Amino acid sequence: MRQRVTLSTGELTYEVVGAGRPVVFLHPAGGIRWTPFHEGLAREFELYVPTMPGFDGTPVHESVRSMSGLASVVGEFIDRVVGRNCDVIGHSFGAWLAAWLAVLRPDRVEHLVLEAPAGFRPKGSPGLPREPEALRAALFAHPEKAPPSADPQRMLANHRILPHYGGGPRDTDDELVARLPEITAPTLILRGTADPLIPDESVQLLRSRLPHAYLIYVWDASHAIEVDQPERMLRVVESFLQRSDAFIVNWETAAVG
Amino acid sequence: MKFVFFHLMPYTVIDNTDRGWPVPNGPFDPRVASELYRSYVDTLAYADECGFDWIGCNEHHFSPYGLMSNPNIIAGALAYRTKRAKIAVIGNLVPLNNPVRIAEEYAMIDCMTGGRLVAGLMRGIPHEYIAYNIPPSESWERQREAVALIKKAWTEPEPFGWEGRHYRFRAVSIWPRPFQSPHPPLVVSATTIDSARFAAEVGATMGMVLLADYESAKEIIGIYRETAREHGWEPTPDNILIGMHCCIAETDDEALEALRSAQNYFQNVLMTPQRNAQRIVLQQTRYHRDEQNREHWEARLRKRAVQSLEEQIEAGVVLCGSPETVVKQIKRASAELGCGIFNLTMKVGNLPDAVVRKGMELFRDRVRPHVGDAVALAER
Repeated sequence: MRQRVTLSTGELTYEVVGAGRPVVFLHPAGGIRWTPFHEGLAREFELYVPTMPGFDGTPVHESVRSMSGLASVVGEFIDRVVGRNCDVIGHSFGAWLAAWLAVLRPDRVEHLVLEAPAGFRPKGSPGLPREPEALRAALFAHPEKAPPSADPQRMLANHRILPHYGGGPRDTDDELVARLPEITAPTLILRGTADPLIPDESVQLLRSRLPHAYLIYVWDASHAIEVDQPERMLRVVESFLQRSDAFIVNWETAAVG
Repeated sequence: MKFVFFHLMPYTVIDNTDRGWPVPNGPFDPRVASELYRSYVDTLAYADECGFDWIGCNEHHFSPYGLMSNPNIIAGALAYRTKRAKIAVIGNLVPLNNPVRIAEEYAMIDCMTGGRLVAGLMRGIPHEYIAYNIPPSESWERQREAVALIKKAWTEPEPFGWEGRHYRFRAVSIWPRPFQSPHPPLVVSATTIDSARFAAEVGATMGMVLLADYESAKEIIGIYRETAREHGWEPTPDNILIGMHCCIAETDDEALEALRSAQNYFQNVLMTPQRNAQRIVLQQTRYHRDEQNREHWEARLRKRAVQSLEEQIEAGVVLCGSPETVVKQIKRASAELGCGIFNLTMKVGNLPDAVVRKGMELFRDRVRPHVGDAVALAER
């Protein structure tokens, strides 16, 4: 159910599902796309999904003009609505935002998950496709798994908000890159092996600059890992959030009988 | 033009393999094997002195067909016995093994040889899936995923994990990394349409052995070239490896007689036991993705099995004769197929090692100087 809260800079819409330790999911530039990954996560965690101001027809906050400014809005949302420390998952544009949040509010972020993070492309980027079919081809290795909310027209409309936060054409957020070593939260970085938008250099840069990070490649996934491989993504993210550093150990059995 | 001295390391002190595959190892004599390994490694090292560009070995299981269940061990034995030739492990059977282990062992060999490894990433022949209890129907999926993972392990500068369908690793960072950058050159077998496409997709040299005729080989090479272009690169002759039995003697008749007997042993003793196991795998599983690929694969072996030696020579799918004859045969195959690498199996079946060595010397003295790479040859 969609809810609203009035923050110091304006109104914010959000949804909350499930019960358990709180997790905040920050959506990509196309807007939230609910998948079996989110449903699975909500079985173990209390999942908060705020809609960033200006996306999906919500009003922008006029005074918020940068990614760091937007991260402060999310910080206030956590203080006011979640009311506890939480884990934060961000996808693409949302991962860029999540990294800023972890820099600005280390007191609030327990674990950080960066899925196909935008904002770290030292060798430049091809930019987001502007044609609906090209966009679907870039986002999904398995477009047949995309939920109805992955409507290209809706996603393209949401992309038009990006310049408001300076989040459109920039390839690398140098200010954020300089501050990455300040992030203390254990961080999981995910990249789909077939992602045409986020190159290996992006995640390698993050892995080398973050003090406490893990990098996982998800096979046969494009940019939207949670659409292409929801089960795999849920398995690795849940394991990371529940076990923290020990998630690198195989806890399952390999016995055959 | 490049030449590979390729060896299967057969166990040749057995006359009867009628009980099928896996071949019972009761009659296996470890003292014989010990001598065979010593002699085979000596022969492989000798190939370095005889002007061969690569020295090749490969992986087989549970039969006298080949004594290299792990060819990387032989590559390690050759690393310090050879100076110039590349060590071509063609190759590890990727879907059957741990891909991280393959990446590690290949990186070791590459560093030990100062960057002389050619890394074969093979899918394996059908019955060998039984040996390591791997579902043949998952063969292609495993091959694709494992090759991507191996390349990642070779090239990734940061520790990484892999969340796949068949492989899951949470922390990988291999030591050593390969000597060659970004990684050793790859060889992938291409005996079907699917495998030719895959070789081109991953930028590998395609390898084709036991040809039955040029027509089907040309079709496969055409598909390989076409797919490479679709992926933005143009194969050179050095990207096309053709494997053949090769027997060189002073005269054509001498070579014919020696190879005829050796091929008889190869077909009727070494190749026989696996046929039934192979048939079971091919009929019961999706080792091949579809009928067309299966038919392509089987037709080649079927035709090959009934070809006389004279028919093979006529078809140009074997190198057999005096040095002068073999030079002509090499030029013919190269002109027809556009291949730049000949993978020569000179130890065919139970061909005596003395005959093999004599053939290697004839190759060095009277074949190699007449088949391309004159400059490279002068430098040697």
